[in-house]
Amino acid sequence: MAFLLAFYLVPVGLLLLQSVEGGSLAAYDKALTDGLYVGVLLDTMLIAAYVSIVCLLLGYPVAYFLAAAPAPWPTVGIIFVLLPFWTSILVRTYGWMILLGRNGIINRLLLESGLISAPFPLLNNMTGVLIGMVHVLLPYMVFPIYAVMRRVDTGLVSAAEGLGAPGWQIFRRVYFPLTLPGVLAGVTLVYILSIGFFITPALLGGGKVIMIAVLIEMQVRQFLNWSFAAALSAVLLAATLLVYLVLRRLFRSDLQWS
Amino acid sequence: MPKLERITVGAILAALALYSAPVAYGQAEPPKPAQIVVNDSGGAMQNAMRAAFYAEFEKRYGIKVVNTSPVDLGKLQAMVKSDNIEWAVTEIGGQDAILAEKFGLFEPLDLKVIDLSNYPKHLQNRKSVFPKGVYSTVMGYRTDVFKEGSRPKTWAEFWDVQKFPGPRTMQNAPIDNLEFALLADGVTPDKLYPIDVDRAFKKLDQIKKHVAVWWTTGAQSAQVLIDKEAVLGTAWNGRYYVLIDQGAPIAIEWNQGVMKESSFGIPKGAKDAYWGQKFLSLVAEAKAQGVYANIIGYPGLNLEAIKFTDAKLIPFLPTSPENFPKQWWTDLAWWADNGPAVTERWSRWMLQK
Repeated sequence: MAFLLAFYLVPVGLLLLQSVEGGSLAAYDKALTDGLYVGVLLDTMLIAAYVSIVCLLLGYPVAYFLAAAPAPWPTVGIIFVLLPFWTSILVRTYGWMILLGRNGIINRLLLESGLISAPFPLLNNMTGVLIGMVHVLLPYMVFPIYAVMRRVDTGLVSAAEGLGAPGWQIFRRVYFPLTLPGVLAGVTLVYILSIGFFITPALLGGGKVIMIAVLIEMQVRQFLNWSFAAALSAVLLAATLLVYLVLRRLFRSDLQWS
Repeated sequence: MPKLERITVGAILAALALYSAPVAYGQAEPPKPAQIVVNDSGGAMQNAMRAAFYAEFEKRYGIKVVNTSPVDLGKLQAMVKSDNIEWAVTEIGGQDAILAEKFGLFEPLDLKVIDLSNYPKHLQNRKSVFPKGVYSTVMGYRTDVFKEGSRPKTWAEFWDVQKFPGPRTMQNAPIDNLEFALLADGVTPDKLYPIDVDRAFKKLDQIKKHVAVWWTTGAQSAQVLIDKEAVLGTAWNGRYYVLIDQGAPIAIEWNQGVMKESSFGIPKGAKDAYWGQKFLSLVAEAKAQGVYANIIGYPGLNLEAIKFTDAKLIPFLPTSPENFPKQWWTDLAWWADNGPAVTERWSRWMLQK
């Protein structure tokens, strides 16, 4: 608790204090009414939502595999999920640039095999940003779900089978609801981390995808306008908390229903 | 409360005593620290700085130079504001340097220690920003796409997508690009400032959909040409030089390139400020600048340095007798005043479909 106070609450308090420098709310007025900042904030939240959904769709089966596969496979799988996790984000981002480019490995393979006649625009647009971000954030989805899946009582699944429920029904009404806490944790983590993303979107989006962290960084480092940067950060923090509360609400009522 | 007040007064007196202490010692050389910290831009730069300046400083004064990176105006302000200064000297971009001087983040330069007499006349009377070197934002192109005789040579031709087709790359920032747009629109370099921002954005509208990549980092600007994401682009000259030196099919067009100063400053209140001045006096020397340029391809501004520079390198320096007159200087003061508003407009423009 003291740790949280010293390294989180106090700095956030100072930040909020800075955002109302001179007792004026001008910084908030601009952050909340200027089309640029509001628009980029909404874009950022939308991108974070896309990334969370894609991560969930990809991560859930992987987590299931890790939890259910026989002996050596879970260990092997975990290594494969963790390996990129330990590589620098910048290196991975440049790696994607080589793979996804107009003359990148993927496009060249597709072109030479005659599957497509013109290169797919995979890089320097939203597609590139999503691929890069999902790749970085996937482990944050897989591990919380995996941890919950391992604790699921398989007796319940057997019981449902014994009672004659078809596979889909078992998944929908028994197994999936039991893993929901993991899904909530994973989605929350991925969503919150996505919102603050910075270098990956700047490089893989070719400059055409702007996220709010980029604008905040600009105010901090380029223009030294710290009170406005603080106001933008406070708005971002509030928006994030709001989404978190909504997510919790949504999932909790779901949990009760099951 | 009186107790608190007494403590405060005591603290202020103690602080004043500490503050005036160095003055009492007069001009005597302060004790040598074991090391000083110089903040540089890292990467390939730090190797060149090590070889040209740090090693020499260590040899001359017996003080170890520890280098950190990256260069960060925000961090500089945070250090000065909190009076917790790690650096004796920091590198700083030209535009940021003007802002830093305006915000009082630098110690004044001691021009009795730092000899600028071999520098261009307009740089000799610096207050607190030390002119470290010069770089140029230039046009670069793939030589396998554009042959000699049929290649763009001006910004007007860079804009001409009919005659010179192919994806472009430009920096994701308004600086340089607004000027390039105006030059493409027929404005002459001496009439660029104050920038007609509306006119520049209107001209940029024409090229926008032909720019495949708006680059963010220096490394990216050159990589984009190597990967053929673009065949024509802009970059800082040293970025192209490194790749040309390795045999990449890339060439530089110096015509209408824009020069900017890169700088050094001593953070306000730095405890090693005295040694910071000594360090800058070493950086100002012609020979050290020659060694530096030979490694990294960026020249210093001591005009004598060219004597110590490799002949094969000279065509790639913005200050070479052939390249220098083809280029012009950014008005950094205009950018320091207008940067925030214009950059905001740039972001808005970038989001328009």
